[in-house]
Amino acid sequence: MTPLVDICLLSELPPGERRVIEHDDLDIAVFNIGGDLFAIEDRCSHDDGPLADGPLDPATCTVECPRHGSRFDLRTGKPLTLPAYVPVETFPVLVEDNTIKLEID
Amino acid sequence: MSTPETLAEQESLQDINADYTAKYGFHDAEEGYLYKAPKGINAEVVRTISEMKDEPQWMRDFRLKALQYFLDRPQPTWGSPMLAEVDYDDIHYFVRASEKAERSWDDVPDDVKKTFDRLGIPEAERKFLSGVGAQYESEVVYHQINEELEKQGVIFTDMDTALREHEDLVREYFATVIPPNDNKLAALNSAVWSGGSFVYVPPGVHVEMPLQAYFRINTENMGQFERTIILADEGSYVHYVEGCTAPTYSGDSLHSAVVELIAKPGARIRYTTVQNWSQNVYNLVTKRAVAERDATVEWVDCNLGSKLTMKYPAVYLMGERAHGEVLSIAFAGKGQHQDAGAKIVHAAPNTTSNIFAKSISKDGGRSSYRGLLEVAKGAHGSKSKVVCDALLLDAESRSDTYPTIRIGEDDVDVGHEATVSKVGEEQLFYLMSHGIDEEEASKLIVNGFIEPIVKELPMEYAIEMNRLIELQMEGSIG
Repeated sequence: MTPLVDICLLSELPPGERRVIEHDDLDIAVFNIGGDLFAIEDRCSHDDGPLADGPLDPATCTVECPRHGSRFDLRTGKPLTLPAYVPVETFPVLVEDNTIKLEID
Repeated sequence: MSTPETLAEQESLQDINADYTAKYGFHDAEEGYLYKAPKGINAEVVRTISEMKDEPQWMRDFRLKALQYFLDRPQPTWGSPMLAEVDYDDIHYFVRASEKAERSWDDVPDDVKKTFDRLGIPEAERKFLSGVGAQYESEVVYHQINEELEKQGVIFTDMDTALREHEDLVREYFATVIPPNDNKLAALNSAVWSGGSFVYVPPGVHVEMPLQAYFRINTENMGQFERTIILADEGSYVHYVEGCTAPTYSGDSLHSAVVELIAKPGARIRYTTVQNWSQNVYNLVTKRAVAERDATVEWVDCNLGSKLTMKYPAVYLMGERAHGEVLSIAFAGKGQHQDAGAKIVHAAPNTTSNIFAKSISKDGGRSSYRGLLEVAKGAHGSKSKVVCDALLLDAESRSDTYPTIRIGEDDVDVGHEATVSKVGEEQLFYLMSHGIDEEEASKLIVNGFIEPIVKELPMEYAIEMNRLIELQMEGSIG
């Protein structure tokens, strides 16, 4: 079974908020978009810099890289615009006992 | 026999683009203008542009967001020291010369029409083009496309009209290849863009004759920010040609375009530029293409004019067997810096690319080749060849090469060659020993140098390019 990693209490990540955690060598960003939770690697595949500080667009469920503007779909990790063209990893999110948890292989 | 040390030391070689002022450097009076924004950029200017164009809210929001990116980003410090001289507060960001884009030359305002007559555009349209767009200052004043093509569903219009008449299509592709925050100049264009072309070619349609856009700046301290999208659907073909000139002024102007090309599976786009801005124009352009499976994108990029050009046409090879080419010529004369180059990204297996860049520097001019070749992980079996050659005509001129190559796979074939040469006595002597006079010999050397690229231009442009080069060389042997 895939190990679960505790992130925070659900109440600590209200809609529109994001949180970045470090797990082993991975930086992972968890987003709350109108009550739906998504987790992607906090790394733009264009230049390997952090991604999650960028503007969030709840309508399209995307985050925009703060350095060169590539927009990533939080559901799939795929870049919707250049200059990035390689998807970043996504992680299943679940809530147990009011706690947000990630499945990380 | 006179055997001068270098060609550029001879008086006549000072005449590069010598007839520029007579041929292109004239300007018209601005009396009939409908609007000229005050100098400088701020949210008010951006809102005014959007309101005058009666744009949908999403585009207005897009512009304002882009303005913030532009303001937040520092001026780049790489490329050229001249970049530090660009004064963004000393530019008119929007100038409207005419009511709308006309479909008949007769309806274009007289002054503007005379300009394009002088530049030979209506004549070229009649003779060898499938369609023409003519942009004067910030907006397109004339646009026409061959009726047959229109019946086949080809769209060739200015970007402002496209946003009104094909909003969904524009919205789907706008800024997907070059997002507003890609770089400072792309952010500026995104905030104040105006004019440019929108081309859509339906599946399987081949546009046999080129489509042409002509860009003319008339006002001093003007900023021209056209925005172009070319979308070639599956298996289609289109060749788009652009030319540009401006009057010679003491105050500097800024041209900063964003051009996005999308070649769907099996499509082919060729985009040819003959850039001949006057030497008071900063030409800072972002051009990028996506080539899907089996598609081909070719940039043929000739840079003769401007004070500073920074332009690196890019092709992202996103689908298997896609092909990209960049053929570029740069000519840097006195006071000019041509920082040109190319960028190719192999993001899929069995993709191929070629970059051929040629530069000529004289009278202390500076040319640079700046390129990136990237083969991503997974792009097995990709092949690429990069060749950049520089010709220096005197000891004061300068040429630099900044190639970057990143390879993420083992089974690829990548070649890079670079040469820098000087035109010297020996070459001249060799030709002259065959009965060719010195002037003719020097022209032959330069023409031979650029020939591989000039031959890729449509014939009419190849003739023009040869004429410009000849002019630069004329009387060069005293």
